[in-house]
Amino acid sequence: MGAVGSSTRTLWIAAAAIAAAMLAPAAYAHAIGGKDAAFVAATVGPDPLPFMYLGAKHMVTGYDHLLFLLGVIFFLYRLKDVLLYVSLFSLGHSTTLLIGVLADINVSSFLVDAVIGVSVSYKAFENLGGFRRLGVSIDNRLAVGGFGLIHGFGLATKLQDLELNPNGLVENLLAFNVGVEIGQLIALSLILAVMTLWRTTKSFPRFAIAANALLFLAGVVLAGQQLAGFFIVGEG
Amino acid sequence: MSEDTSYVPTAQLNVKPKTLLLITGGGLAAGTLIVLGAIMPAEYNVDPLGLGRLSGLARLWAPEEKTWQPGAGMDPAHSSNIPSARTVVEIPLGASDWPEAALEYKFAMKPGQTLLYKWQALNEDGSPVTVPVEFDFHGHTLAKDGEEMTVANYRKNQALADEGALMAPFDGIHGWYFKNQAPDPIRIRLEVEGYYELVPPGQPGNEFRIQPVSAQPEDQALEEDDVQ
Repeated sequence: MGAVGSSTRTLWIAAAAIAAAMLAPAAYAHAIGGKDAAFVAATVGPDPLPFMYLGAKHMVTGYDHLLFLLGVIFFLYRLKDVLLYVSLFSLGHSTTLLIGVLADINVSSFLVDAVIGVSVSYKAFENLGGFRRLGVSIDNRLAVGGFGLIHGFGLATKLQDLELNPNGLVENLLAFNVGVEIGQLIALSLILAVMTLWRTTKSFPRFAIAANALLFLAGVVLAGQQLAGFFIVGEG
Repeated sequence: MSEDTSYVPTAQLNVKPKTLLLITGGGLAAGTLIVLGAIMPAEYNVDPLGLGRLSGLARLWAPEEKTWQPGAGMDPAHSSNIPSARTVVEIPLGASDWPEAALEYKFAMKPGQTLLYKWQALNEDGSPVTVPVEFDFHGHTLAKDGEEMTVANYRKNQALADEGALMAPFDGIHGWYFKNQAPDPIRIRLEVEGYYELVPPGQPGNEFRIQPVSAQPEDQALEEDDVQ
């Protein structure tokens, strides 16, 4: 493949990523809305399967969570490592999802989502060898687990925006969390499959830089739109 | 191969410092530009760079719509099956100690019919009155024997003049009770425009047989049996 061909393709990928970022409804980044919100508000008592579905749907369509996952597994070649980091991430977000809702901790969803955007840029910067360049060494397990905690708060704020009935809350919450993990597994399998195929191509190293540069940009846009929302709309 | 190597930073890329600076600097700049120039105008109607207006993206922003529900029988829009009319009447009121100091004048209106009104109290020589006139702006249905009568009170006050609008809430007669409080006879010059019918002299609402000074189109006073 010639240099012209690959740079054209990089441009296409860049354009698609930016278009996707701009088409995303910024103010309500993957909030649970419409008929789903109405369903949750109307639910009294345990109703595990629908909540599981909502959790899975939220994860599969939550592009900020997915971009972070993409960054995390970008350079993980061994299945063992993939499982370790994904488990750390899951442990982190399950903890704060449950604690956040049950203890009714109110954090601005704009600020939480802004930090999630920062986590995407953080991981991209790390993949690019940025921290090593700066002479900073951060334990990756700590970073992924820590950002997992923040992502969990993001999930919690979305659920708290809905009027959850206390009757059956714990059961529904656990079901939602199981759904999140299932959704994550589905999304992860797809990302991993594509990544594995991609890594076998000769142009991968060159694209890897471009892809992480785009990931960095996407994180900046995600964080920026949430900060704009926080300062314009206020405590969301 | 040591087990621990994968837990230290996993970065596999060794990007040149210049490239790294380009990627992070460019990413921050482009990201900020996208947020300020596109997302903020389109999502929040805030346009710090003016790019939203230039690109038309700001037009994507629209306030959320909520449909207003009118109260029962209070549809704000009405098509009229009669042409609009304009009428001027002069209502004579005797001096305050005369029995003729107070009288009523009303218009026949169907629900939703609207009129604009404007009245002023004048002395017999045409100069404005200085003693406020007591008025009671109200409406009621024309009840047949044994039926209840619905009454609506619109405004009750004292004034030298007033103007405004009325949309009739029900089928009936709607208008004013005026009471002169000055020691000399006065007249109320009342102008109305809109959708209404004049009450023929002698009928309820025009018991004092007041004839309009002018009415357009043509005198709209109805035949006696058209009322009710």
